[in-house]
Amino acid sequence: MSGCPAVRVSIESTCEKQVQEVALDGTETYVPPLSMSQNLAKLAQRIDFSQGSDSEEEVIEGEPRDREWTKQEPEEEEGTVKFQPSLWPWDSVRNNLRSALTEMCVLHDVLSVVKEKKYMALDPVSQDLTASKTPQVFQLISKKKSLGTAAQLLLKGAEKLSKSVAENQENRRQRDFNSELLRLRSQWKLRKVGDKILGDLSYRSAGSLFPHHGTFEVLKNTDIDLDKKLPEDYCPLDVQIPSDLDGSAYIKVSIQKQAPDIGDLGTVALFRRPPKTKAGTQQWHVKLEAAQNVLLCKEIFAQLSREAVQIKSQIPHIVVKNQIISQPFPGLQLSISLCHSTGEKKNHRASPEKPKPDDHLYVLEHNLHQMMREFHKQQLSSVVMPHPASAPFGHKRMRLAGPMAYDKAEIFSLQQNEGLLEKIIKQAKHIFLRSRTARTIDSLASRIEDPQIQAHWSNINDVYESSVKVLITSQGYEQICKSIQLQLNIGVEQIRVVHRDGRVVTLSHQEQELQDFLLSQMSQHQVHAVQQLAKVMGWHVLSFSNHVGLGPVESIGNASAVTVASPNGEYAISVRNGPESGCKVLVQFPRSQTKELPKSDVIQDAKWSHLRGPSKEVHWSRMEGRNFVYKMELLMAALTPCP
Amino acid sequence: MEAPPVTVMPVTGGTINMMEYLLQGSVYDQALESLLHRLRGLCDNMEPETFTDHELVYLLKGQQGNPFILRARRSLSHPTSPWHLRYLGQPEVGDKSRHALVRNCVDVAASHSLPEFLNEMGFRMDHEFVANGHMFRKGAMKIVVSKLSRILVPGNTENTERLSLSYLVELNVLAPAGQDNMSDDMRSFAEQLKPLVHLEKIDPSKQRH
Repeated sequence: MSGCPAVRVSIESTCEKQVQEVALDGTETYVPPLSMSQNLAKLAQRIDFSQGSDSEEEVIEGEPRDREWTKQEPEEEEGTVKFQPSLWPWDSVRNNLRSALTEMCVLHDVLSVVKEKKYMALDPVSQDLTASKTPQVFQLISKKKSLGTAAQLLLKGAEKLSKSVAENQENRRQRDFNSELLRLRSQWKLRKVGDKILGDLSYRSAGSLFPHHGTFEVLKNTDIDLDKKLPEDYCPLDVQIPSDLDGSAYIKVSIQKQAPDIGDLGTVALFRRPPKTKAGTQQWHVKLEAAQNVLLCKEIFAQLSREAVQIKSQIPHIVVKNQIISQPFPGLQLSISLCHSTGEKKNHRASPEKPKPDDHLYVLEHNLHQMMREFHKQQLSSVVMPHPASAPFGHKRMRLAGPMAYDKAEIFSLQQNEGLLEKIIKQAKHIFLRSRTARTIDSLASRIEDPQIQAHWSNINDVYESSVKVLITSQGYEQICKSIQLQLNIGVEQIRVVHRDGRVVTLSHQEQELQDFLLSQMSQHQVHAVQQLAKVMGWHVLSFSNHVGLGPVESIGNASAVTVASPNGEYAISVRNGPESGCKVLVQFPRSQTKELPKSDVIQDAKWSHLRGPSKEVHWSRMEGRNFVYKMELLMAALTPCP
Repeated sequence: MEAPPVTVMPVTGGTINMMEYLLQGSVYDQALESLLHRLRGLCDNMEPETFTDHELVYLLKGQQGNPFILRARRSLSHPTSPWHLRYLGQPEVGDKSRHALVRNCVDVAASHSLPEFLNEMGFRMDHEFVANGHMFRKGAMKIVVSKLSRILVPGNTENTERLSLSYLVELNVLAPAGQDNMSDDMRSFAEQLKPLVHLEKIDPSKQRH
């Protein structure tokens, strides 16, 4: 209280001016505050001048206060005019404030004294230890209990969570199994028997008559522990195929030269690497497809062996274990074998066999499959369905056999008399004949340069027939000498040759026949070429024969000959060409050029010396020119005198 | 002139000894579509085959009690097909465990003069009807779903009236005598049709009144 600055307390009233009037639009009109003179006048009216000197002091006191009133609010002036301090409304406020101020000053003083630490010191209030200290065991137990409750709650939550996760996984596995099952069902026939799911992978519903049941079982594979890492190829669905359809199989058709000994037949078990599975195919799909393939191969082989035994042919077929051997052509052997290997045998491939050249005819294997499927389809054709409905199944035409009284020949013609084996043998024969023909033509073409032989094979062939167009030409003279064009139709056992001039020749399967024929055609070509060349060069053809009856007899075909005369008639060239004897060219000179001219009295005119006289042979091998026709052209040019 | 010798011994072998295994059932008209779908899925994969047949049943009344019955059937949808003559024997009373009705069956194809021939032989036509429907096949089994219609004017197959509001479903197999394993296959096939149609063996002798 002493020495501290006076605390200034300001009091402000809320309402400064009295509201005189509130207009209809909300504006307030205030009472204008009294001016100083008006104020004074108002106060003066209140002063009772009739009172004594006490009131003068009050008045004197009131006057300085009067001056302060201009600064202060009107409410305060009311309080001081009455001069009754006990009735001053701010009295209690002033008292409270004053007491608060006193307290604060005391506190401030105490704190400043305490700070010096000389006269007063602060001491902490000592706690009653025994009253607040609890035994540690109780604490432990209580802590344990609370922790236990918390832990139990957490455990319960965790258990629920793990249960739901496991359920989700189990559901997912089931869903996976179910979705896999759906996918399986979209591609394979399934049926439910009891609580097992069985499927059918045989071709019976597609028309096969093979008695194998072809039933596979679908197994659930959901017992694995999902916490461990799943294997790469995990699939919730597994299939169990019949044990005899295990592994994979294919039918190997090959043509070889006849083996001298029959000792080691029936041991064909060569195996080719299994085809790479496409990414994304399920394991069960691969397994089922492989098993179905094995079944089809077995059916094909069973059908072939049945026919091999039943059908009578000139050379009987040999059926040994997994191989059928037959002879399409003498000296040749066709072997059809069923190569079935289960998975275990892969390890036994350690025997160091030289990889034999692959003589497997893949086309025939494919054709076997196709023919089998064709046979299946025929079983299902609507021709078999009976009309009327109560009749038994059977071919439509066979039903007519009774009422129409067919005889044996007609019935026989109705039935299919060609089995699978016969068809495949025919195809094999054709393939072999075709390849041998190609080989013959190619070897001739490489061996003989003049004339040239060209072969144009047609792209579109039949299983039993192919065709090739053979052209024999001379290099450089293709446009002039194109008279030898042969169309070869290669059939199953014969080759039919159609010549450009319309001749048709049928050759057998012997390789030598074709070769001889082509050689004879080549020699004919040379002579034809001379004939064509003569036309171009202006020489006259005196005689031409495809098959001359003179000279040495050829062993292959016949020799042909042509004689051409120069434009002025002085020279003549005779050519005789045979396939074996080669070519012989003679030139006939005019009589005037011969050295020994027999003098005779008969011929008196000199003009007769221009006639052609003796002939001389040309050393053809010493003649210049790269081929026969070129040489001939040079010769003709040499013998044609310049004008 | 002697009459040519007639063999007294019965002819055996060949087509004479075929047995027919039969299971029958029926479905209402509303259920036909679903049945056809199911059969299409279960049977061999072929185009569905429809048929319209006209069957005549001939009786030969002998001195004995039981008349001899022959069934002559022709196709109305394939008029050039031959007629089919059928004899069905009595159902074999074998063990009760056999699942299908087994009876001797002789099938013969005949030319178009069959009705006159039968008339000349002494047979009299008992009744005739028209059947049309669908045929399915699974291996050796034949499944026929047919609607039978009564012929109002004898001889006129255009004017027919349906006999009932349902379709007759028959599953039959023709097999030589002695092969009994067909009935097991038939039963398992019938199981697969179970909720749609119940195929069971119905003894015709018990049906007659």
